[in-house]
Amino acid sequence: MTAGRTAEPVRAALKVGISGVRGVVGEALTPQVAAAFAQAFGTFVGHGPVLVGRDTRPSGPMLEAAVTAGLQSVGCTPVRLGRVPTPSLLRHVPAAGARGGIVISASHNAAPWNALKFADRRGLFLTPALAEELFDLYHQQDFPLAAEPEIREPREDETAVRGHLEAVAAYVDTAAIRARRFRVALDPGNGVGALHAPDFLRERLGCAVTVVHGEPHGRFEREPEPLPEHLGALGEAVRRDGCAIGFAQDPDGDRLAIVDETGAPIGEDFTLAFAVRQVLAAHRRGPVVVNETASRVIEGIAAEAGCAVVRTRTGEIHVVAEMLARDAAVGGENIGGVILPAVHPCRDSFGAMAIVLEMLATGPRTVRAWRDAFPRTAVAKRKVPVRGPEAPAVLRELRRRYADRPLRLLDGVGIGFGDDWVCVRRSNTEPILRITAEADTAAAAARLAGELAEAAETARRKIETQHPGPPPRGEKG
Amino acid sequence: MKTLRLSPFGLRGFTGDSLTMRAVLDYASAFASFAAGRRVLLARDTRGSSAMLAAAAGSALVAAGCEVLDLGICPAPILQFSVPANGAEGAILIGGGHLAAGWNSIQLVGPDGAPLDPLAGETVLDLYHAGAFARRGWDGLGRLQPAEAFLAPYLEALTRHLGVAAVRRAGFRVLLDPVGGAACPFLAPLTRALGVDAVAVNGEPSAYLARDPEPRPRNARPLAAMMRPLGAHAGFLFSSDASRVSLVTEEGEPVSEEMSLAIAADQALRRAQGPVVVNCCTSRMIDDLAAARGVPLIKTPVGQAHVMAGLADEDGVVGGEGSGSVAVPAFSRAFDGFLLMGLVLEAMAVSGRPLSALVGALRRYHIVKRTVRWSAGGSYRALDVLRERRPDVRDGRADETDGFRVDVADGWVHARASRTVPLVRIISESTDRAVAEARAEAWVRAIEEAS
Repeated sequence: MTAGRTAEPVRAALKVGISGVRGVVGEALTPQVAAAFAQAFGTFVGHGPVLVGRDTRPSGPMLEAAVTAGLQSVGCTPVRLGRVPTPSLLRHVPAAGARGGIVISASHNAAPWNALKFADRRGLFLTPALAEELFDLYHQQDFPLAAEPEIREPREDETAVRGHLEAVAAYVDTAAIRARRFRVALDPGNGVGALHAPDFLRERLGCAVTVVHGEPHGRFEREPEPLPEHLGALGEAVRRDGCAIGFAQDPDGDRLAIVDETGAPIGEDFTLAFAVRQVLAAHRRGPVVVNETASRVIEGIAAEAGCAVVRTRTGEIHVVAEMLARDAAVGGENIGGVILPAVHPCRDSFGAMAIVLEMLATGPRTVRAWRDAFPRTAVAKRKVPVRGPEAPAVLRELRRRYADRPLRLLDGVGIGFGDDWVCVRRSNTEPILRITAEADTAAAAARLAGELAEAAETARRKIETQHPGPPPRGEKG
Repeated sequence: MKTLRLSPFGLRGFTGDSLTMRAVLDYASAFASFAAGRRVLLARDTRGSSAMLAAAAGSALVAAGCEVLDLGICPAPILQFSVPANGAEGAILIGGGHLAAGWNSIQLVGPDGAPLDPLAGETVLDLYHAGAFARRGWDGLGRLQPAEAFLAPYLEALTRHLGVAAVRRAGFRVLLDPVGGAACPFLAPLTRALGVDAVAVNGEPSAYLARDPEPRPRNARPLAAMMRPLGAHAGFLFSSDASRVSLVTEEGEPVSEEMSLAIAADQALRRAQGPVVVNCCTSRMIDDLAAARGVPLIKTPVGQAHVMAGLADEDGVVGGEGSGSVAVPAFSRAFDGFLLMGLVLEAMAVSGRPLSALVGALRRYHIVKRTVRWSAGGSYRALDVLRERRPDVRDGRADETDGFRVDVADGWVHARASRTVPLVRIISESTDRAVAEARAEAWVRAIEEAS
C-alpha cells in the first residue's frame, strides 16, 4: 500500500447521481436535505399531485415528513402511499395522474443509508438529462414558495399496491399457477415485500408460503442485497418445508433472487433468464433489452425465439429508455431486475415471481432442471476500490493493454476471450470498479475476473505514481 | 416586505415569504438539538400552512432522536397543559393565534407548559443561527406517534379547578366563535364538561379565517346579533389558538377585550389571594381590582412569556393581558381561553347576576387604540420623539418596561413598536373618552410630524 492512500477510498456521505440522492442518515441525509430536494422536485414537476412512498427503513417516516413539507411548500399536493414496493409507486404515477413520484429507499444499501429517487409523470426514473436539471434547481436553492392559500393538504392513497398486483396477476396465467398449488419460500429481507408478497403469493397465485425475515421493521436481519451468499436462511426454509422454489427480494421490492428446490441460489442472471424465456415463449416475441454485463445466456434464449438482444449501459433508466425506444417484449438487469413492460417499464420483483411461477407451471420440470436446461455458464464478480478521478485513466490503461482483443466500450471496457468475456466498469453508486466475467465454468470465470482485477490494480498503481496526491473528498456519480 | 420575527420562544412571519418551511425546519431542528432524545409534544392549528410546518417540525424532532407525541389540531392551552402532564421536555406549536390571515408562527413551550424560558430560548436561537443541529443515526432516530386521550386529563383538571357545580346548576346557554380554529373539535366535550348549552358560529375547522382572529368588539358583530334571538347568557369570541377571548353580553353588547381579564381575574382572586401579574399596557381596571382586593400588582413587558415568567418569579395567583387572556398557575402555565370562559361563567353563576351587570360594575375606562405606520427598523426613533415631547402628559410618571408609557391621574398613554408589522401601536386610556382620544391623537401627530 502506497503512502498517502487510505485502505478504503473516501466514500462521500451524500451521493447525488443517476440513482437519486443517497446518504447516511444523520450525517449527510438530514430533514433539511430531503426537504430541499423535495422543493427542487416540486418546482421541477410543477403544482399538482406527487406520489411519495417509502420502504421499511426506520428513517423512512422522518424523511417522508420532510419530503411532505418540502412538496407542500412549493404548492404540490403530496400523495402518501406509505410503505410500498418501488414498482407499485412507479406504476401508480401515470395511473393516478400524478406529476411525478418520490421513492424514499436506498434499495439494496445497508440500513444506515437512505435515498430519494425521483420519477417523472410517466412513472420512469429521471434520465440523466432530467436529473441534471433537477440537481441544478436543488443547487440554486431558489424555490418559488406557495403562499398560505396555495398550500395543499397531503392526501393518502392506499390503492397503488392493489393496482400493481392486479396488473401482474392479469398479465400471467394465474389459473395455471393456482392449479399447481406451489409451496414456496419467501425472504423479503424485512423490507416492503414482507407487507405485500405473502398475500400476493397466497391469495392471487394460490401458493403455500413459508416466510423468513418477514417482519417489516427495516432492521435488516439479512444483508439487504439478495446476493447468493446472503440466501442461507431462505435455502434452509426451502429444504425444511420441501418448497418448489425460494424467492428473495431486496428492501424496496424491485429485485428478485431465486433459490432452487435444493435450497441452492441459481444466480441473479438466471432470474432474468427465466423471465425472458417465459415472456418470449408464452406472451410476446419482440426485442430483448438487457444491460451490458448480463449473461450471454440471454442471447441464446432470444435466438431460440428468433428475437434480437440489445445491450445498454448498467442502470435501470438506461435499460428502460432503450426498451421503450425499441418496443421491447421484456428486459432487465443481471442483478435480478426483471422488467415486464406490459405491467410497467420498471424493475419488479412481483412481476418476476409471477412470470417464473408461470414457467414452472407449464410442466413438471423443477427450478434446478430449468437452470440446467440452459447452456452451462458461470459468472464471477470482483470489486476494485478506486478514487473517482482515477477510474477513467484505469479504464483507458486497460483498453491499451488489451488492444489486441475484441473490445466493447458500451459501458466501461468489455474484453472478449473467445466465447468468454469480462467487463470492467465504474459503479453508479460506489467508488469502485466492478468486474464481471463469464465463462463455461466457475473456475474459468473466477480466473478471468481475477486477471482483470490484478490488471486494474496494476494500472491504478501506475497512475497513482504518476499523479500522487491526497484523495479528494466526494465522488462523482 | 420581509416580516420574519424571531424571539427566544418563537418565529412568526408571512407564510411562503418570511416564514418559510425551511426556517421552521431549522428552528425546530435547533429546539430539537436542545431537547435531543427526550419527549416533545407537537400540535398545530387549522391554517393552510400549519400541517406543512408541523410535518417539517416533526421531521426535525425525529432526526434528533426525540419521542414525538403529535396532538394534531389542538388549541394552545390544551397543548401547554399536556406538556407537564406527559412528562415532556417541551412542545412545538404551529399556529397563527391572533395573527391575521397569511401569517403563521412556530412557538416553543418549556417543560412547565409556559412559553420557553428566555435563557433556554436564547440557546435555541444560537443553535438556529449557527445551523448546528444534533443528529442521530438511523438506529437512534426518534418516533412520531399520535398522542392519545390527551383531552380527558385536561377536562378533568379544569372541572376540578373550577368546581363547576354552580355553573351546571345555572343552566347557561353560551354562543361561541372559535373562528374555525384549533378549538373547534374540542368545543362539544368542553361545554358538556362545564354543563352549558352551546351554539357555535365559525365552528368547523377551516384553513381560511372567517373573520379577523383578534377577539375584539369590532370582530364580534355577527355573534352579537345572535345573542338575543338565541336567548344566550354570554358570548365568547376566541383567537384561533383559543388563548384569547373577548366577551359579548346577553344584551348583545360586545365589550372590550380588556374586560375579559378583569372579570376572570376577579373571580380567580375569590379562590386565592396573591399577586396579580399583567403586561404594562393593560387597562387600569386591573389596577383598581388589585387595590380593591389588597394584592400586589406586577407589570411585565408584553407577551405571554414575560407574564408567565412574572407569575413564576412573584408567585402570582393570576395573570394575563388586556388582549383578552388569563392564566392561573395553580391550574396551568398558559393563557387559557377555556379557563377564562369557565371563570366568567362561574362569576355569573356565583353572583347570580347577568354578564351585563358584571361588566357594568367595573369602573368604565375608555380605551383608544391607534397605529402609526413606521419603517420597521426605525420605530425606536419614534419612541424617542415621544420620550422627548410627552405630548399632553408632560407631568406624568414614565415607564419603559416595554415601549414607553406615561401615567397621569385619570389614565395613561403607551406606545410600542409592533413585533409583526411596521407599525407603532398607541394605547390611551382615561375615565373620559374625549381625553383618551385627544391624547392618542396627540401622540400619533407627534410621530407623524417627526417622520
